[in-house]
Amino acid sequence: MLITSLVMSLNQLLPVAILLVLLQVLDKQYTRKVLLALIIGTVMSFLYMQSASWVSQWFDHQGLEYSQIGLCIIIFFAALVFAIKQKAVAFCIAIISAMTLYLSHYIIYLTSFWQNSEVGQSLFIGTFLGIGICLSFSILLYFLMTSIKYRFGVKPLLILLALNSAAKLLVALDLASQVDLIANTATVWDLRDLLTENSELGRVLRALIGYEATPNLLSVLTYSISSALFLFLCSFIPTSLTKERV
Amino acid sequence: MTKRLFNQFICCLLFLSFNAASKEYLIILKDHLFYPSQIIIPTNQKVKLLIENQDSTPEEFDSFDLNREKVLYPNRKSIIYIGPLSKGRYDFFGEFSPNTARGVVIATDKGDQNVDN
Repeated sequence: MLITSLVMSLNQLLPVAILLVLLQVLDKQYTRKVLLALIIGTVMSFLYMQSASWVSQWFDHQGLEYSQIGLCIIIFFAALVFAIKQKAVAFCIAIISAMTLYLSHYIIYLTSFWQNSEVGQSLFIGTFLGIGICLSFSILLYFLMTSIKYRFGVKPLLILLALNSAAKLLVALDLASQVDLIANTATVWDLRDLLTENSELGRVLRALIGYEATPNLLSVLTYSISSALFLFLCSFIPTSLTKERV
Repeated sequence: MTKRLFNQFICCLLFLSFNAASKEYLIILKDHLFYPSQIIIPTNQKVKLLIENQDSTPEEFDSFDLNREKVLYPNRKSIIYIGPLSKGRYDFFGEFSPNTARGVVIATDKGDQNVDN
């Protein structure tokens, strides 16, 4: 249970933490706004978690996937708008949507096993360790990305944000294929022998840039096109604004 | 090569919302175990997994091999489509109880058997 709790914490918290760090480094928001987004995100996660069991029965047991696809698309566009316009509203929408998507799973896990006295201690220690690792990773990533930004400008950061946001569309594609909304295409490559998704590095890369060991053709095309489109649209940022941010 | 990729991409888009009847397989989750734990399906065919969680706690169906992830609520049914798959083994597990809730989908040319282990 300890290892499961640790892995669950990393799986569900890391994507939110990475997105928060990337957006914060791109254009630092006031602490008050960040806290507000985190509080609303937590509340939304609880509300989503409460209604998830009911929503899951909609549209022939596919309601949950439809709502999650919507959240993934919202995260992509909110991150894009934030990268272009640096609007605080876009920042809040991206963070709240990401928290609702990922944290609700985590809350379901915690609330399901918390009452069980036999596993309570392992659950607590695993969660505590997971949050600690996630926090350490986020702080390191924050300082790394900040130094990269000051040394090489905003472009490397935008590339990472574009890949991270495009990864959310991959999640949406997997969900759409899960409910038979789109057809599965042939697997383009199989890297399971080289790096599996459930290895430590695989999990970090999955949270960071949406690494998939066995992607299908549609996923590869969507990932490439959406990240290229993200960067293309970001290139329209006025030069003065870019200089100001660096 | 580019033309083939383009054709495949167009086919994907055309397939949108055309739900052809898929073969259905029932999986039951009970006491944090999947029954059957081994599902044999035909290759190159899309199939529908109907998963019924009979436990009192939720579980998350997860598979890195199949790129699938879904929360299974207690005493509820969930549907997951998988495939078409090429010949091989595709592991799945319950993320909340990964030590016990484990299973495998085996895609073979002579599919359509379920084996309880």
